[in-house]
Amino acid sequence: MRTMIADILQQSGFEIVGEAETGLQAVEKYRQLRPDLVTMDIVMPDMGGIDAVREITRFDANAKILMCSAMGQQALVVEAIQAGAKDFVVKPFQPSRVLEAVQRVLG
Amino acid sequence: MDLSRYADLFLTESREHLSAINHLLLELERAPDAAEPVGGIFRSVHTVKGMSATMGYTAVAELTHELETLLDRVRKGTQPVTPEVLDTLFSAADALEAAVELSVAGRADEVDVVALVERLRALGGGGALARTTDAALTGAPAPVDTPIASTAPAPGDADAAGRASTGAPVAGPASTRWLIRVRLATATALRGARALLIVRRAESLGLVSSIMPPLDALQAEEFDREFALRLDTPTGRETIDRALRGMGDVEQLEITEEVAQAAPTAGKAAESASTTRSRTSRHVRIDLDRLDTLMNLIGELVIARGRLLQLCAGTEDVVLDETLSQASRLITELQDEIMLCRMVPVAHVFDRFPRLVRDAARALGKQIEFSVIGKDIELDRSMLDEIGDPIVHLLRNAVDHGVETPDVRQAQGKPAVGRLTLSASRERSSVVIRVADDGRGIDSGRVLQKAHDLGLVDTGRNELSDDELVRLIARPGFSTADQVTDLSGRGVGIDAVQNRVRSMGGTVEIRSVPGAGTTVTVRLPLTLAIVRALLARVDAETYAVPMTHVNETVDYQTSSVQRVKGRDVLVLRDEVLPLIPFRTLVQLAPQPVGGRQHVIVLEVGDRRAGLVVDELAGQQDIVVKQFDGVRESAALFSGATILSDGAPALIVDVGSLL
Repeated sequence: MRTMIADILQQSGFEIVGEAETGLQAVEKYRQLRPDLVTMDIVMPDMGGIDAVREITRFDANAKILMCSAMGQQALVVEAIQAGAKDFVVKPFQPSRVLEAVQRVLG
Repeated sequence: MDLSRYADLFLTESREHLSAINHLLLELERAPDAAEPVGGIFRSVHTVKGMSATMGYTAVAELTHELETLLDRVRKGTQPVTPEVLDTLFSAADALEAAVELSVAGRADEVDVVALVERLRALGGGGALARTTDAALTGAPAPVDTPIASTAPAPGDADAAGRASTGAPVAGPASTRWLIRVRLATATALRGARALLIVRRAESLGLVSSIMPPLDALQAEEFDREFALRLDTPTGRETIDRALRGMGDVEQLEITEEVAQAAPTAGKAAESASTTRSRTSRHVRIDLDRLDTLMNLIGELVIARGRLLQLCAGTEDVVLDETLSQASRLITELQDEIMLCRMVPVAHVFDRFPRLVRDAARALGKQIEFSVIGKDIELDRSMLDEIGDPIVHLLRNAVDHGVETPDVRQAQGKPAVGRLTLSASRERSSVVIRVADDGRGIDSGRVLQKAHDLGLVDTGRNELSDDELVRLIARPGFSTADQVTDLSGRGVGIDAVQNRVRSMGGTVEIRSVPGAGTTVTVRLPLTLAIVRALLARVDAETYAVPMTHVNETVDYQTSSVQRVKGRDVLVLRDEVLPLIPFRTLVQLAPQPVGGRQHVIVLEVGDRRAGLVVDELAGQQDIVVKQFDGVRESAALFSGATILSDGAPALIVDVGSLL
């Protein structure tokens, strides 16, 4: 449910510059759009979120990627952080926590 | 945060995933060794899990979590795809569907997934998961019931010293050794990952050593809420404090100096403000009601155009004429575009059928190869929702009564595996949906015999046309009265199908060859909003009769009307046609007797009647406006429309007349 994250961000004055449905698309979009922040699901078709993080950080070491995960995905989130993700939020998404994480990632 | 407005979205997306899951399960059943289906199912289940957790639908979250665990084992090859596993997965998909629907309907308390969760757990790897599940469900952390362990590294830890010296970046001589103890908040989600982030942040400040518990254990969440580390850095206490707290979920942070050294602070400049780029998503989801409104508006516009064209007919003004025809063209384009917006691929409904056919065939011990053709053919959304049930009827019939069991088929020299095909295609302005099987077919001889017995057909007749065949077996109760198995049940289904399809302005045809199979063809108009109607005048009013129910129109001499059992009837090609004078229906005085009269022959199912009107006024595409509000007074009419001359006309509800 990208929509929900997108809504939370938009309501706080962020602008969504692009959305991707697969890991491959995410990497492609990142290259095109160079966004300030990426929120990334861990499990996606084509290329998983973790591989996408790896690809994106290979392209831009300073990419700011926030992982969206579910409970019970500790190992995957850990892997994502090792791959270069800057932070994570866990479902259910609470707007305040999402925004906190975003602020942390944006520094 | 109000989640309710996401419920529809959740439902739509979950249904899509469930449909994919069912589809992939069938694939997995065919090829249990294939990796792709499991991966696909896993992703879909995972997505539903994430969404349901977000929405707070705990039963769905619980079920998907367990499913995911089992699927993960299958994916990794530690759990072979046995028939038991497949059965469990199929049941789980069903239960998941029910749980999703009930949760969204606000009836989550009716969801019962306990037994299935147990089954999944038994297969998925046992009770080790229980804790994770609890946490996954409530979004709250697992209860902390063990005493908080002392996590401070022992002084003079040899390991710590060793690690410090092997670390890659060596802190400068001016650095301070800090002992940092962190306690995470109780509500911290994924403590292991959070701890890793904090350690990472510390590493960005200097050299980290003596992490206790060790990093591996931290990542695996093998700690309560506290951990500690040593940090060698020139960075000052406040900056460290701010940096580490900034990683979130830090409840308490204790920073103590181990060796007194100079500690200059090196604050980091805040990063530049974010720049923005304008780009928007290429898709929007629109409420169907809104499209209905658009459709209504364009309908009005079409009518207004008709009036305008009439008013300006024969004008000498070339500019006006040109402008008008341009506007007219644009309106037509607009109408087409809006119609297209309402169209969705039949796949939305068709995708659940493979599973249905599989289950039905399995239950009856039949082998059926089911294929779906033309999934991308599009149909008006509101019609697509309606057509699902009738197709289910037809498929069930084909499996139940059409396709024979493997032994019977082989005895007849047919392949053991029966074929069943569901196809959709476009034919002119209608969509044709066909259900074809290669089963035993309908024995028209028996139907004829039965019809003779019931006195439905002249005993002299010894052949039935296909249309007559449909009409006969569609008669409510016709075939259920028959003990012959190849017909039992069929009639009721066809009757229901025919009524439903008719109500949508469509038609049903059956072609059957005994021993070789049956094909049922359903023909539907592209949209419900605009229909072709026959206009009839009674007194000063014009009425619209939907063409789908009009068989023919007949002129007759009043002298040829006969009276049977108190009703006026007309004998038309040897068939008795009861007459319904429209004037009586709308409580007008009967027309003066004498001369010729006009009759519209109406047909719904096997019922026919002749509607007597004053005058026929041609055919026209009309925009249907359903009545809302008071209806009792208007039982004769199903809606209203505005004709191209601007006059309103009531639409006759043919079903209510017969």
